[in-house]
Amino acid sequence: MSEAVEIPEEHDLDTSWMENMGEWGANARPGKRGLTLADIQVGSYGDLPEVSDNMTGRPRGAAVRPEAYRVGAYSVHTLSEIWLDNAEYLYEEALQRQWSSATDIPWHTLEPLPDDVEEAECFLCTFFNEVEFVAGDVPARWIAKTTPDYLEARNVLVVQVMDEARHMDVFRKRALANGGGLMRMSGATSGFVGSIDLARDFTEMSTRLHISGEGAVLTMFRMGELFGQNEAEKTMYRLCAQDEARHVAFGVMHLRFLAAAEPERGEEINCYLDEAEGQLISGQQNPAGALAETSEALAVLLGGGMQHYDEGHKKLLVIRRRQLKEYMKRVMSAGFGERFENGRSPIPERYAASA
Amino acid sequence: MAVFPSKEWFEEVREVYNSDRSLHSGGGGACDTTAGFSIGDRRYRIEFAGLECAEVRESNDAELAETDFIIEMPIESWKAMVRDVQENGKASSSQTLNSLDLGLEDGIAHSPVDDQYKQDLFYRYNQNFQDFFNASSRVETTLE
Repeated sequence: MSEAVEIPEEHDLDTSWMENMGEWGANARPGKRGLTLADIQVGSYGDLPEVSDNMTGRPRGAAVRPEAYRVGAYSVHTLSEIWLDNAEYLYEEALQRQWSSATDIPWHTLEPLPDDVEEAECFLCTFFNEVEFVAGDVPARWIAKTTPDYLEARNVLVVQVMDEARHMDVFRKRALANGGGLMRMSGATSGFVGSIDLARDFTEMSTRLHISGEGAVLTMFRMGELFGQNEAEKTMYRLCAQDEARHVAFGVMHLRFLAAAEPERGEEINCYLDEAEGQLISGQQNPAGALAETSEALAVLLGGGMQHYDEGHKKLLVIRRRQLKEYMKRVMSAGFGERFENGRSPIPERYAASA
Repeated sequence: MAVFPSKEWFEEVREVYNSDRSLHSGGGGACDTTAGFSIGDRRYRIEFAGLECAEVRESNDAELAETDFIIEMPIESWKAMVRDVQENGKASSSQTLNSLDLGLEDGIAHSPVDDQYKQDLFYRYNQNFQDFFNASSRVETTLE
């Protein structure tokens, strides 16, 4: 059954569809960066509804079709729930900065590694493989829940899913490309990382995923330049870090928008941050966390082998410290910095103790 | 032969970077940011717009305070990085901007207004900046 009009084989030409259109005469012009989403915010096409009643999948600005069925149970239909001021820009940036795990990584630079180092790298790759599944699956669920009127924010999430697919495959490729293989799963997906998927609200999800989770992983990826054993690994981590920084930017900008639009939700957001911070330090969410098996693997890699574990562990402590500092500054940038001054957050104390 | 650091040197690197897309490596696409370089007592301001480096100019502290982030190192560290690029055709792993940043507790890049969102642009666009400095391998260089 369809709402589409049934047309008999022989019929008079009906061009009444030509009289049903959105705003006409749009003349968007490409700028220096091509024709971007920002360039097509022209006339009413750029009008964002504060609350969307679009339940039919109608493209924003298109003429209404009264008989259209409801196709989406769009639970995210209030602007502040998902919006961020630079959504168009982040989307275009993501499109234009894609890379290929097949051809942009100098795989030929991989060389046989000592067993302990290969095992540590493969363990880390197994972990990242696991968490990137979550980082792809979770935004994907929220895309379908979001009204098409907020297409720019949706599109950023769509490209994030692509990014995470690439991260999954690049770590899998690394694990299978140098005489090793995948190791035992870390269990992160059944711990805090997996619990990101239990978020009931988009901002709850974004706070856990983009700010806490991906923020911590961003520091890790950047550190890959230190613990990578060859050019292939260093490149892999460096390129993943760029993508991750974009995802973190989504979280910070969304939280900033929400804080300004709905300050009454401040306490709720602080609760999400409370929850995340406990895991950020000690949980398996954080591969550099004190209780994570992956932190041992990192220490082996940073030291250059089991025999230099202590040296590697010292470098790991520097990573943890940096994670904490960057996390705090991101939360401040998002507008929730008071928690570090009023004693609510345990992070400043832990940061001071890590000196 | 261009002298590092100087406006002429940065201008030559900019021309090389903009004229050959093969120097823009994977993951180094569109980039929109302004950054400052603090090199000893010299200051430079660089602007990336889309796929090109739009401008590099000699600058000052007041102007750098308006940029997204500033990369600051002692002049000897800058010279070591440029020398390494000259010798190897691109930065070796210990001399990439990211490695140099990680080597110091406070890093080499910071936001002049202490905004992590802006500082994160250094991470987001890292490849463009690295490609830019790697392009300097094609510029005959004398270190000041």
